[in-house]
Amino acid sequence: MLAVAGITILAGISLFSSFRMETNLDEYMPKTHPAFIYSEEANERFLIKDSILIAVEHPDSIYNPETLGKLIEIEEALHSIEELADSRLQSIHSADNIVGSEEGLDIRRFYVSAPTSQDEADEIRDAVRKNTMIAGRIVSADERTALIVVELPESGFSNKLYDKIMGLSKQFSGPEILHVAGRPIVEGTLAILGPKDMGRTGPLVILVIAIVLLLVLKQLRRTLITLAVVIASTIWAFGLMTALGVPLYSVSIMIPVMLIAIGVAYAIHLYNQIDFFAKGNPGADRLEIAVNAISVIGKPALFAALTTVAGFISLVSSQVYPVKYFGLFTAFGVAASWLLTMILVPSGIVLWGNGKPPAVSRREINGSIPFGARFADAISAHKSLVYVLTGFVLLLSLWGISRVWINTSFLDNFEQSSPIVQTDAFVNRYFGGTSSVNIILDSDKPDTFKQPEVLALMDSMQSSVMKLENVGDSQSLINYLKRMHFSMNAEDPAYDAIPGSSDIIAQYLLLYEMSGDPDNLWKVVDADFRGANVTVQLKSDDSRTINRVIDKAKEYADDFAEKGITINFAGSGYKSLIFSNLILSGQISSLGLSVLIVFLLVAFMFRSALLGAIASIPVLISMVINFGIMGILNIPLTTSTALISSIAVGIGVDYAIHFIAHYREHLRKTGDEAVAARFSMSHTGRAVLLNAAIVISGFMVMVFSVFPPNRQVGLLVSLNMLTAFLATVTIMFLVLRKSSTILKERK
Amino acid sequence: MRHLHMSLAALGLLAFLAITNPVAAQTSGNASPGSGGPSASAIMESVYNRPKPSDTTALLTMTMVDSKNRERVRSLKQLSASFGTADKKIMEFQSPADVRGTSFMNWSYADTSRSDDQWIYLPALKRVKRISSGGKGDSFMGSDFSYDDLGERHPDKDEHRIIGNDKIGGEECWVIESKPRDSSYSYSRTVSWISKTAPIGFRRDYYDKRDQLLKTLVIQQTQVIDGFLMITQTEMHNVQNDHRTKMSFTSLEVNKGIREELFAERTMTKGL
Repeated sequence: MLAVAGITILAGISLFSSFRMETNLDEYMPKTHPAFIYSEEANERFLIKDSILIAVEHPDSIYNPETLGKLIEIEEALHSIEELADSRLQSIHSADNIVGSEEGLDIRRFYVSAPTSQDEADEIRDAVRKNTMIAGRIVSADERTALIVVELPESGFSNKLYDKIMGLSKQFSGPEILHVAGRPIVEGTLAILGPKDMGRTGPLVILVIAIVLLLVLKQLRRTLITLAVVIASTIWAFGLMTALGVPLYSVSIMIPVMLIAIGVAYAIHLYNQIDFFAKGNPGADRLEIAVNAISVIGKPALFAALTTVAGFISLVSSQVYPVKYFGLFTAFGVAASWLLTMILVPSGIVLWGNGKPPAVSRREINGSIPFGARFADAISAHKSLVYVLTGFVLLLSLWGISRVWINTSFLDNFEQSSPIVQTDAFVNRYFGGTSSVNIILDSDKPDTFKQPEVLALMDSMQSSVMKLENVGDSQSLINYLKRMHFSMNAEDPAYDAIPGSSDIIAQYLLLYEMSGDPDNLWKVVDADFRGANVTVQLKSDDSRTINRVIDKAKEYADDFAEKGITINFAGSGYKSLIFSNLILSGQISSLGLSVLIVFLLVAFMFRSALLGAIASIPVLISMVINFGIMGILNIPLTTSTALISSIAVGIGVDYAIHFIAHYREHLRKTGDEAVAARFSMSHTGRAVLLNAAIVISGFMVMVFSVFPPNRQVGLLVSLNMLTAFLATVTIMFLVLRKSSTILKERK
Repeated sequence: MRHLHMSLAALGLLAFLAITNPVAAQTSGNASPGSGGPSASAIMESVYNRPKPSDTTALLTMTMVDSKNRERVRSLKQLSASFGTADKKIMEFQSPADVRGTSFMNWSYADTSRSDDQWIYLPALKRVKRISSGGKGDSFMGSDFSYDDLGERHPDKDEHRIIGNDKIGGEECWVIESKPRDSSYSYSRTVSWISKTAPIGFRRDYYDKRDQLLKTLVIQQTQVIDGFLMITQTEMHNVQNDHRTKMSFTSLEVNKGIREELFAERTMTKGL
């Protein structure tokens, strides 16, 4: 016990000394995946960077001296932030206006210093209205909102920077409203809300479990011991995590709830056996009671723990790091709680006795025996009804499964009504979009992207992508060339097109490179014109939107291939998509793995492949129902919900293990199938019911999480526990009874 | 799109960074700041006021090398002359082939309140266009030189101080730090190596707004032409993105008495 306390304290120290939350999405991705490597290279080639968007909204119009002046002040304030000193900013203040006329070309800023009169502000407005590169792009069409795009520095985004930018937005508010959006801000918000959420659900789950334990165990002492076990195991798991330098990912927020809800099960079964034995043997001393409990429950509890650990360990096969780590450390925590239960509960009995045998409890046990037995009889009598109902539920679920979709939207981690989602929606409503995907075109030949026919194909791809739902804007070499051609030909609309010869294209681009900001050009094309980048801005970061763009672009792959050009993708949106495919493949592999491990473990434990298969029935059913419900309720597969079924397999099979162990033992002892059925249903059935009830009540706490995916996980795991429990005591029970003759023969 | 400041700007370097011998930019030793010598400002003044030729013609080859060692080479013919109140320049591209004949003309005025006049000629359009622009572009033709780097910055715009002594290629130098008086300048400070025997510089380090070393300029080759010390090869290395731009001048001629009438649209369309 001292050792346990010592380790717990050490783990606690490790936990509090170096704890950090990882919210940079790139850190969630496997860095060796070819798509990621390509995407990283493209990001470097075309200077693709995540941006923070600051939208300055005025109640009437931004074209007044104060608001236009404020844009300059905000830009200066941004540049005075150390991390952003060299960041590129884009706004109507920093952008150039190119006006073409018969004689020449006028290139100048819309304004350099704040206008002093409304007339000057109106002139700026008129100039912006005429420039299609600017109007609607960095000033909204209704002229009430101006955008400042802030490119993030190489050093990335930090909580400190997040605070500074948020502070700045507050400082400059009124009468304008400042909206801060963009992927870095979403990630930053998660970094702040994540630990807060864990701080809220953690204590709540302890409270709920404590109440449920008191109700179930009816003893303060037992409740405290059991709580000590799960809290210690949680601290161990987190201590190990921080000691190994693994940061907290958003899915890790669920670890405490998981460990507390799952960890109490072993104690429940031990105490159930202790009460049962003490009732049957009133004279037994403390040691006898403890030894009996360990000898009866030890093996099934060990295997129940092993299968649960296996369920979590199977997540290690995922290529997604947070999922891998989540599986690993929760598995460790579960193992720790099994070990601690097996040490602390019996030693508690030996040290302090069994406590007063709860009188109420006895009556309840006495009362529940007939119920359990009656239930066993009822199930046995209505076999066909059970089979038909099961079949119906499975069919319905299979239909639901066909509707399951994968979502990697980072923003969907938040409530629809949360400020971050609202701001994002605001910016998406008035501008091109807060998310993006890059279409990268590559050729072996230099100067490929100076050829008019290549550019025409690019133009047609770009315009068809622009027609897709949720696509707000796009930028490529095409935009620059058309604008140059238009300006150099006195803004004659007939010249708002791709120029007809590669020489004129080369000369325009040289002119741009010499007189403009060449970095703008290197964002859309390679310096030797072998590669081009089309940036597509999206109003949603969900996988469906990104997939539509990719599918549309790929329709042009053959046409590009004829010209020796390959098509690829990059950018944070694309990486999310690859990520979602990894989640799906990880999901399938870890699910298969967990079912296999569970089957092998149970088969080994009972030395029977048949029982291994029977024990797998409830988890397979609950798995099918799980995905069916996800499809029916439109709950997408995400990094969080993808975890559920492997976990559910590991936990759900526990009921079957306990049930089968007691059924077989009793069958062998009495030789009477009906008696064994009644006993296992009333005695083990009760423990299993309590076990399921506690796990469910623990997971239901996640409904109070601020993150919708975590709420979905809470509900779905609860549902899985319920279906696994129901399947165990109904259909699995029937199949088990049917196999009785074989079980007896094998004796 | 910004300023078409296609001055023969590279040659502006000469006033600042002329040296007597081809020098390898090597630093050795580090002495304490000089005492009793000329002030840092006086040294920078004398560099600024060095005599310059009144006109030059040259062939400029610009080689840009990125961090992956990919090269882009451009060559231009250039012509520049001073006519009292105005400096006039024309540059015409020789290669790459698809931009051959493209030319730029710039007139800049002694009266600093008057902005430059600029024209471009694109052979594919067969038309000269007048360009008017507000500010200065960041990069000279997409190279690692900015217009600021190439122009002659008046010493009064900075505060100078001698921060050490050094030797470059055997030549004793003052190491002078210059901090802009106006914070809108692109750099937080520059550090220059100025010869103690002649009003000339060998090397300059440019620090960005966060005071990190951004670029290093070194002179690789010089030539005396008609008594004027001319740089014939120089390299700017952006240490942050590992880009380099090498400029080399050949067929350099000075004080040929170029007529002012030559700086006209007709010259641009006809070619140099």
